[in-house]
Amino acid sequence: MAIDQKYTDLINADIDGEISDAEKATLSAFLAQSEEGRSVHSELTAFFGSLDTVDPELPPPHLRHVIMSSIRPVPEKPESPGYLQALFASSSLKFAATFAAGAVLALSVVDSNRISNSAFDDVARLVGTIADPVNGESRNSITVNKTEIAGKISLRQTGSMLILDFDLVAMDPIEIEAVYADRTIWFNGFASLQSSGTSISAESGRVTIGMEGKRRYAVFLHNEGDRRITVSLRFIVGGEVIHEASLDYDPAE
Amino acid sequence: MNKPNETTLIERCIKGDRQAFETLLIQYEKPVFNAAYRMLNNRDDASDVTQTVFLKVYENFDSFDPSRRFFSWIYRITLNESINWLVRQNRLAPLPHDTADQGKSPEQELDSAQRCAAVQAALMTIKTEYRTVIIMKHFLGCSYAEIGDALEIEEKKVKSRLYTARQLLKDALTSSGIN
Repeated sequence: MAIDQKYTDLINADIDGEISDAEKATLSAFLAQSEEGRSVHSELTAFFGSLDTVDPELPPPHLRHVIMSSIRPVPEKPESPGYLQALFASSSLKFAATFAAGAVLALSVVDSNRISNSAFDDVARLVGTIADPVNGESRNSITVNKTEIAGKISLRQTGSMLILDFDLVAMDPIEIEAVYADRTIWFNGFASLQSSGTSISAESGRVTIGMEGKRRYAVFLHNEGDRRITVSLRFIVGGEVIHEASLDYDPAE
Repeated sequence: MNKPNETTLIERCIKGDRQAFETLLIQYEKPVFNAAYRMLNNRDDASDVTQTVFLKVYENFDSFDPSRRFFSWIYRITLNESINWLVRQNRLAPLPHDTADQGKSPEQELDSAQRCAAVQAALMTIKTEYRTVIIMKHFLGCSYAEIGDALEIEEKKVKSRLYTARQLLKDALTSSGIN
């Protein structure tokens, strides 16, 4: 015999924890005399319980950075002078005057339109297209030789610009976090050479790059005070850190 | 009403405070992504929708009524964006049961991951209006009143829709050999 809809509703409300004392008493009285009611109650309790134990699907680790990179910065709060102004004001950085057309390094922030546009919005002082190769002085480098990723990362310096050159191969999607504690140093641009399919997001003190396959690209940091800096690198696959390294820049050396 | 610290955060967000927004993002990123994933059954799509949701929230703080619950607002945006995504992808119709079949015999012992996958597959076989209430109740832990508030429907309607949704989900799981 089918259970009256009224009791079915009460059973559902009871399992959902949304039942009043009076309703609970009514339900208890019904269950006490209905074997079928008890069976349905028990079955639904198990079924709802199994739904509640389904593990939550967790977002990819870079998503938060992508979102933060996507929102427009508050316009009335400039954090530091524009890089281009600073660059053109400095006679020692004449090479920068050739910023514009005819790229050797084609700047690209790829992966999705939203990511690329937002990254530009967020890091308003991007280097932009660079006309001449930037022949910075090599200061430091590391090699990575892991199953998941292999290659070389170098640190060069020219004027107030630090350049991280990445020449890497990854079998599967990998995320690389470059973290620098000194907040006076800021992300100044990204250039990709001979490859696309690299995503990037930046926030204060951190640049996160997503890549797969063979990739060559550069990350530019503006180091106005020629300060000593350590860039900590973390290589992350599927949310797990599989390798860590660091690159030091010491102006005294 | 929102929690006091959440109210303060929202007020700061309205003024364009990015740090306050990031705090809200940290708080809601996981449930929003999880809800989007349950609606769409695809991590990349869920990431895109999550991104869109937070952009909309950030750009529309001015239109948010602080006397209302923030989570109702953001969950409603999440579910609407997910449905819009399905419409754009021409995927609004539920999947047929055989598509959702996980290929398990009734006798087969299901581990936790398999059960999660089976539930997700079954979810995709029911209409979005029913999927929505299941997600809000069982994956976001909302009460009847909160679901009603977010979906702007009466509590009575929430109950009846939830009842039907569970029946459909149960049938879908049973038909794919999972009890």
